[in-house]
Amino acid sequence: MKLFPEKIHFREIRLHFYILCWLTLLFISLPLVIVIITSFNASSGVNFPPVGLSLKWYGNMIQRKAFSETAQLSFFLAIITTLFATSIGFLSSLAIVRYRFLGRNILNAIILSPLIIPEVVTGLTFLFLFNRIKMNQSFLNILLLHILLALPYSIRVISANLYRFNIALEEAAMSLGANRLKTFLLVTLPLTKPGLITAAIFSFVISFNNFTATLFLVFQKNTLPVEIFSYIRTENDPTIASISTSLILITVGLILLSERIVGLERFTR
Amino acid sequence: MGKNRSTPYLLNLPSLFLLGLFFIGLSWLLLISFKASSPSGALQTGWTLKQYFRFFGDQFYLKYLWPSFHVAAFSTLVTLLLGYPTAYILVRSTPLMRRFLTIALLIQFFSSYVMRIYSVMLVLGNNGIINRFFTWSSLTSGPIKLMYNEFGVAVGLTLGAMPFMVFTIASVLESMDTTLESAAKSLGANEFKTFLEVTLPLSLPGIAAGIVIVFLYNMSAYVTPALLGAGHFDMISNFIYEQALELMNFPFAGAGAFSMLVLTLILVFFLNQAFERMIKGVSFK
Repeated sequence: MKLFPEKIHFREIRLHFYILCWLTLLFISLPLVIVIITSFNASSGVNFPPVGLSLKWYGNMIQRKAFSETAQLSFFLAIITTLFATSIGFLSSLAIVRYRFLGRNILNAIILSPLIIPEVVTGLTFLFLFNRIKMNQSFLNILLLHILLALPYSIRVISANLYRFNIALEEAAMSLGANRLKTFLLVTLPLTKPGLITAAIFSFVISFNNFTATLFLVFQKNTLPVEIFSYIRTENDPTIASISTSLILITVGLILLSERIVGLERFTR
Repeated sequence: MGKNRSTPYLLNLPSLFLLGLFFIGLSWLLLISFKASSPSGALQTGWTLKQYFRFFGDQFYLKYLWPSFHVAAFSTLVTLLLGYPTAYILVRSTPLMRRFLTIALLIQFFSSYVMRIYSVMLVLGNNGIINRFFTWSSLTSGPIKLMYNEFGVAVGLTLGAMPFMVFTIASVLESMDTTLESAAKSLGANEFKTFLEVTLPLSLPGIAAGIVIVFLYNMSAYVTPALLGAGHFDMISNFIYEQALELMNFPFAGAGAFSMLVLTLILVFFLNQAFERMIKGVSFK
């Protein structure tokens, strides 16, 4: 008899968790669904439910030069950031995982520090620094900022990968006559590939989406998030909804592709 | 691998160059925040605490600090309340549910923050789905103000930080030794008791890390107050941006930035201490 009410308690807590979980899902996903619906709205206001169906905001998105130009710039920035953040991160990860050296722990802490420093502080620091040393190359400045922001993620993911694989495999290759370079190319690199791909995806996403810190450094040309931000502040039509819908589609594609190549667990830890 | 002593330093050279550049800028900014500036923007000689006195002494600037803290703390709690059950279901449910939840959260994680806040604006606006429903069902006579105030900013922050909270707690729940739960059950504890006395205390490190990460993240929010507060509700980051880019007052912006950094880190330090004591207090006899 005593067990009965307690059993109800258990059912209640699990049920509550399920309800809260679905509520969370609804809370995070509903806005995106609304964005997608709004992008097909025929009227120029941001109405819900839509007044009629139309693709004219997609037309506006393609026609406006500011969007295609900033999208190209952001894509280009993200690609270069990815190349640098992944390769630099790989080198640092090798040092951190494979060597014991003076200042290793301090370095580890310093590398992760951009994660806890607020983005406005990072942006302000770079603006101030480049201003003082008269470095007015907007593109290069933003690139350096993005590599710095992506580096902690890249190093964390790649070193986790390096910690996991068995170093005996490298030793075996060497004892079988492979030289350093051959061992690196034929053993180390292929075994670190999933980590490198994950780091590359992280770096690309961080650079392509970064807004707050980048805002301090845009003078000559806007990046796509900055352009979207200023459009939201000045106009009130669903063009941003159609850009967002396109970006959501690309993001979903990227996630499904990542799941195929490296598995989603690598991103959530 | 190599036995050469200089190899690890050489490998770290590119990272160190970038981090060095950043820390040189950061230290330089800190130095500058102890300078007075004339209206033209030129720096005066000599050191002063004027900028800090101005920041903490003036009601006008202080008004950024308390609301920032208030909305950041409140949103962190709501994020935890929604995020913990989500993490629990993610780890302990079926593989299908797990995949579904992971993808839904990763879409958020991989999407532009500006776009996500824009999507919240579409929901909370006067023509948004909530106000449409309210007016249609005659619950209210007209649209009610859901954004351009603290509420709107809190909603945006909660949505923005959700993936961090869920993933942080989920990774702790994942690595938890489930034999303890089975042991509790086999010793006669029911599932409710098992959760309350075994699972919850053991997941405290995840809760602690989640709270710290999300609180730090919320305190430094810029986009959310800029779009969902739109001048009616500003946070410290908005103040720093304004000082630096609209007024070109680097010393004052720097003083604001370091005050924010130090205050947040002190808070996080005490939070960590409190959590550590709680985690140590958890013992199974």
